[in-house]
Amino acid sequence: MSVKSTVPPAASPVRQMRYLKPFRQRVGEALSSYTARVLLQGLFTVFAVMTFTFFLVRLMPGNPVDIKIDQLMQTQGLTYEQARSQAAGLFDMDLNAPVGQQYLTYVQRVLRGDLGKSILSAGTPVADIIWRFLPWTLFSVGLGLLVSFALGVLIGAAMAYWRGGILDNVMTAVASILYSIPEYIIALLIILVAGVQLQLFQVGELRGGFNPDVAPGFTLEFIGSILKHATLPVITYVLATIGGWILAMKSSTISTLGEDYITVAKARGLSERRVLTAYVGRNALLPLVTRLSVSIGLVVGGSVIVEELFQYPGLGRQLLRAINGRDYTVMQGIFLIIAISVVASTIIADLMLGWLDPRVRVGQKATKG
Amino acid sequence: MPNDVVVSVRDLSVSYLARRGRVRAVNRASFDLHAGETLALIGESGCGKSTLNLALIRQLPKNATIDSGSILYTRRDKSVVDVLKLNKAELRRFLWSEFAMVFQGALNSLNPVIRVSDMVYDTAAAHGLNKAAAEKRALHLFEKVRLDPYRVFRAYPHELSGGMRQRVLLAMSLLLQPQVVIMDEPTTAVDILTQRSILDVLQTLREELNFSVIFISHDLAVAAEIADTIATMYAGDIVEVGPVNEVFYRPRHAYTLALLNAAPRLSAGAEELYSIPGSPPDLIHPPPGCKFHPRCTFATEVCRTVLPPLVAAEAGHQVACHHTDDVVTAYRKVSRA
Repeated sequence: MSVKSTVPPAASPVRQMRYLKPFRQRVGEALSSYTARVLLQGLFTVFAVMTFTFFLVRLMPGNPVDIKIDQLMQTQGLTYEQARSQAAGLFDMDLNAPVGQQYLTYVQRVLRGDLGKSILSAGTPVADIIWRFLPWTLFSVGLGLLVSFALGVLIGAAMAYWRGGILDNVMTAVASILYSIPEYIIALLIILVAGVQLQLFQVGELRGGFNPDVAPGFTLEFIGSILKHATLPVITYVLATIGGWILAMKSSTISTLGEDYITVAKARGLSERRVLTAYVGRNALLPLVTRLSVSIGLVVGGSVIVEELFQYPGLGRQLLRAINGRDYTVMQGIFLIIAISVVASTIIADLMLGWLDPRVRVGQKATKG
Repeated sequence: MPNDVVVSVRDLSVSYLARRGRVRAVNRASFDLHAGETLALIGESGCGKSTLNLALIRQLPKNATIDSGSILYTRRDKSVVDVLKLNKAELRRFLWSEFAMVFQGALNSLNPVIRVSDMVYDTAAAHGLNKAAAEKRALHLFEKVRLDPYRVFRAYPHELSGGMRQRVLLAMSLLLQPQVVIMDEPTTAVDILTQRSILDVLQTLREELNFSVIFISHDLAVAAEIADTIATMYAGDIVEVGPVNEVFYRPRHAYTLALLNAAPRLSAGAEELYSIPGSPPDLIHPPPGCKFHPRCTFATEVCRTVLPPLVAAEAGHQVACHHTDDVVTAYRKVSRA
């Protein structure tokens, strides 16, 4: 009953070749068709978003010059003439050129990797602004998403496992309520109730990404300060999104628990841990992966209102500033980055789903008998 | 004969707690399964066949309880195990190594995200069998059930057809050389040719490996072919037990007779198909007396009031019916016509 005796010896080399060939084919096919197709689709999406934002921002009422003139008149008390001449000197972009020509120049620059310069903060490259504020957003929103997803999945799975128990009943209500409150309301509640009424923290102190009195550097104090300042936005993101994860994971786990292969796994005498991880968990997670990818893509854009409310120095707040000041180039830059990250995370989610679920793996043909 | 009893079930009752009340799905079921014997449980959908078998391996859903009875299992070394008294860890070890099951939903019984090989390794690891030995045995069994062993071993479930998956399950159920394999309608989800080949494979394996089978089916032809003993269930009761030829050629219970009459025959031609009038009773408020009486053509006053006990008739036959003699006569008439 040895392994060899089950197969006629002559067949072995053929078998080996049959093993290798599909693998090589798979790699070839994936490279030639699927990956290429996905990348092309992605590029097209990014290009389309780039084009639309270019024209859409210019369709907004007003333009950067008028806004700047308004600002100068209000803040510095200048007359219209004075403000106009001062404002004109600030802009190095020819806003009077035909829009088509501006668009071509813009595309050429982007292709060279140049996102242009900010209109409002004259001379500052858009790329610099993005690099300066993006890490804060990535850190706070990313951490929020991670915590929310991990906690939500665990709680949701536990609720499904002990369905009808206290945890399930309480958390279903809590999750539904949290799920239905917009994040800016949560942020306001935190500031007003915890900060102003209960005085649990000083709202003013927690502005910005870190305490300016602490010297930036790789020190425990500085890192602590960063974490402290990120706490409130992160709590807001977690509270605002965890309800969705809990409810999604709960329903997904309940339907997975009802599958025949779970009963079979138990009947096979597998340990409870193995059943819960490889059999229940992995299958229940599949529907959440797609959802996660959309959320990851939106991390970059940050949360405009929450960052504004907590005065957190992220990209979302910069976007709001750019929109208010009609800073075309900064808006274009940030929207472009958001588009790229959404596309990229969708591709990553595709690959991840293929890794978790062999049924959607690409370039592999099912052999139905 | 009494010495080679592998599974002995006595007075086993299982009920589900439903919103409307308690559903007695299995009512005081008793039977013996001998070594190497194939027992077929037949009956309509919802008669308690599957519940009885889930109770045997203690995999009932959470809302079900075993109200009474005992399940005694005799190991190969003649030690006796009370299945209902095993604790969680003991039960885990007991399952599959002594008592395996091939489930109804063959297409859905394999974890879609891991390979067949991983499921074999998982099972082996749970029972302290090393990987190499498990692989060797699995490959051997896959070949026995007429699969391409290497390809199937490395495959994901979705790469296999329904018939192939069913055979994978059959092979997996024998991985740890259990004494008893429960098969819950293993051939209902596949086409007739695949069914044929699975039954052939099962026959061969049974002769070689000598395990007992509890076979659940509503397909009388399949049951007649594969079983040594037939047990008819109606509304949670075992109403008739006997050797296959006895039950099929000399049915003594009105319900078995009705089932046999309802089975379509190729030779029947344009003759109208017979079906049992009415539908299975509400098990929350079962009818008094014999539960089959509202649908029974033989029913008399006594059937409406007195529940017939399961009593021994001749030739190893047991039956719970007030009108055994009438049923036998009626069957003779039908078969002669």
